[in-house]
Amino acid sequence: MTERHVSVENLVKTYPGAAKPSVDDVSFSLPRGEMLALLGPSGCGKTTILRMIAGLVEPTSGSIRLNGREVSGIPVYKRNMGMVFQAYALFPHMTVAENIAFGLEMRGIAKADRAAKVARALDLVKLSGLGDRRITQLSGGQQQRCAIARSLVIEPELLLLDEPLSNLDAKLRDEMRDEIREIQGRTGVTAIFVTHDQDEALSMADRLAVMSAGRLEQIGTPRQIFDRPETEFVASFIGAGNFLNGRVTAAGEAAVDGFGALRFVGDAAVGQDVRLMVRPHRLVMGGAANSFTGTVEHIVYRGQILTMTVRAGETRLQADLHTHAGALPEKGQTVTLGVAPEDVTFIGRAA
Amino acid sequence: MRDRGLVLALLIPGLLAMLATFILPMAWLLRASFSTSTMVQVGFTLDHYRAALVDPFYWKVALNTLTLGLTVAGVAVVLAYPIALFLARTTSRWRGVLTALAVAPLLTSAVVRTYGWMVILGDRGVINGTLQSLSIIETPLRLSNNSFGATVALVEILMPYAILAMLAGFGRLSVQLEEAAAMLGANPLRVFWRIVLPLSLPGVLTGALLVFVLAISSFVTPRLMGGGRVFVLGTEVFSEATVTLNWSLAAALSVMLLVLFSSVIVIYQRALRRLEA
Repeated sequence: MTERHVSVENLVKTYPGAAKPSVDDVSFSLPRGEMLALLGPSGCGKTTILRMIAGLVEPTSGSIRLNGREVSGIPVYKRNMGMVFQAYALFPHMTVAENIAFGLEMRGIAKADRAAKVARALDLVKLSGLGDRRITQLSGGQQQRCAIARSLVIEPELLLLDEPLSNLDAKLRDEMRDEIREIQGRTGVTAIFVTHDQDEALSMADRLAVMSAGRLEQIGTPRQIFDRPETEFVASFIGAGNFLNGRVTAAGEAAVDGFGALRFVGDAAVGQDVRLMVRPHRLVMGGAANSFTGTVEHIVYRGQILTMTVRAGETRLQADLHTHAGALPEKGQTVTLGVAPEDVTFIGRAA
Repeated sequence: MRDRGLVLALLIPGLLAMLATFILPMAWLLRASFSTSTMVQVGFTLDHYRAALVDPFYWKVALNTLTLGLTVAGVAVVLAYPIALFLARTTSRWRGVLTALAVAPLLTSAVVRTYGWMVILGDRGVINGTLQSLSIIETPLRLSNNSFGATVALVEILMPYAILAMLAGFGRLSVQLEEAAAMLGANPLRVFWRIVLPLSLPGVLTGALLVFVLAISSFVTPRLMGGGRVFVLGTEVFSEATVTLNWSLAAALSVMLLVLFSSVIVIYQRALRRLEA
């Protein structure tokens, strides 16, 4: 078993006067050096968890441990965690270097050492030479880098990032996404970041914790979350999905209207009513295993992909196919599509 | 350019209003301060300025005015700062009500509030009466009819302005910055000294300036609370104009007061620019 660097157990937060808890019995843990994404729609409690770990919000119950030690009684300023705020929260009355040096100053580090560490931190985030700039003279991306340098220079036990990319424009976001990942890898710091953007979570994190309405829905690697979602919420929140109802007829095989027999991955007893999920882009033209025939009801050509709605029996499916210069299906045409059994995921019992 | 013409046309009503209500009276005031007659504007003389500058009494009055203004501004800012800081930082749903309460005294006139302070601080007032009836003191404390009384009343009367000005000047304060400082290892005291105080200084300075200007130009409160024993430029201008009927001297004193104001404002703006650089 891997070492638990950070662990959260049965964490609950109920704000005074609220009928329902904002965070409802959440538990997870991270090994040292891992980057975890807390992913979910706004209001799902992900930021509250981050703030409880930071010590900015008092948990109602539950425990947060760092290296096996309970941190609940420790005030924010003694927790030694770095935090990158959504709006960066850089001190406007200080220069870039002064901002970065602030945490070192609070730790009583001598001025000469401070300068050396600040120079190294500026170098890490590619801001060398900008130490004397005022915060207002920095671009959005530079402010982001400055905020990261400020939170890393104190060599925190844990780095927390609250929607770190949401204030940047699309191009810069992709660039910073790679860069944050690279800096985290290079420093080896354990990190937790909050986001509502699935692309961001899938591409940056070692593991994702998907949340909904205060509860942890599923935690796993990007591939586990995307290919083996365990709940309908996870399956529909991350990526698009076709949801099918069927009845298990044999091990790994279910009867689904319009398909006949559909082979799937997952444990379900024979005779059980099940809910299955197929990603639109995992459907392919032509018959493989799990092939079925249907009529194209609706079609949109989108350049790279062709999105079509295919009706088979009473079942309607969305299929996203890669386009090519040759002949493509047309509306009203009868097509045969197939899907590999491992791309049919068992979500749970049918409601 | 058509745009420029439109801009000028839109500016004209405002400029005319300024001309009629501000520039003309100021020109008249300046002209009156050089007049050889005390009531009508004729001839040219520097006598009134000379009189004001040579007479040690007016130097003392100017010094009194400056001391009163600085004291009132200092005390009002110190008292108003915690209130303004609380109002700026609170997330309570009573915030609107509390802010309204803090500035509610502005709804009553300064004259009424001055009389209120006369009742409280007078020789037979609430404080002296209570202390005497409890036999703690025999002779009443000198709480009014002096500059102490004027200072107390002015501080209370001008505090709402200080609170409002500070609230307006606290724009750069944010809870998130305080949280960021705490995350970096600053305890609450250091968060205050290193983050809250520096970022709220522009507001403090604006509040202090406003109270100072209002205090040195006040005359009703110093006159009533001072019982004729507190001489400041405001009361002197008033009595020269209405009692002695020496309008020209009153005008000269007003111009001098104006110079005092302007220099304070220049100093203030320099300081503010340095703070926000």
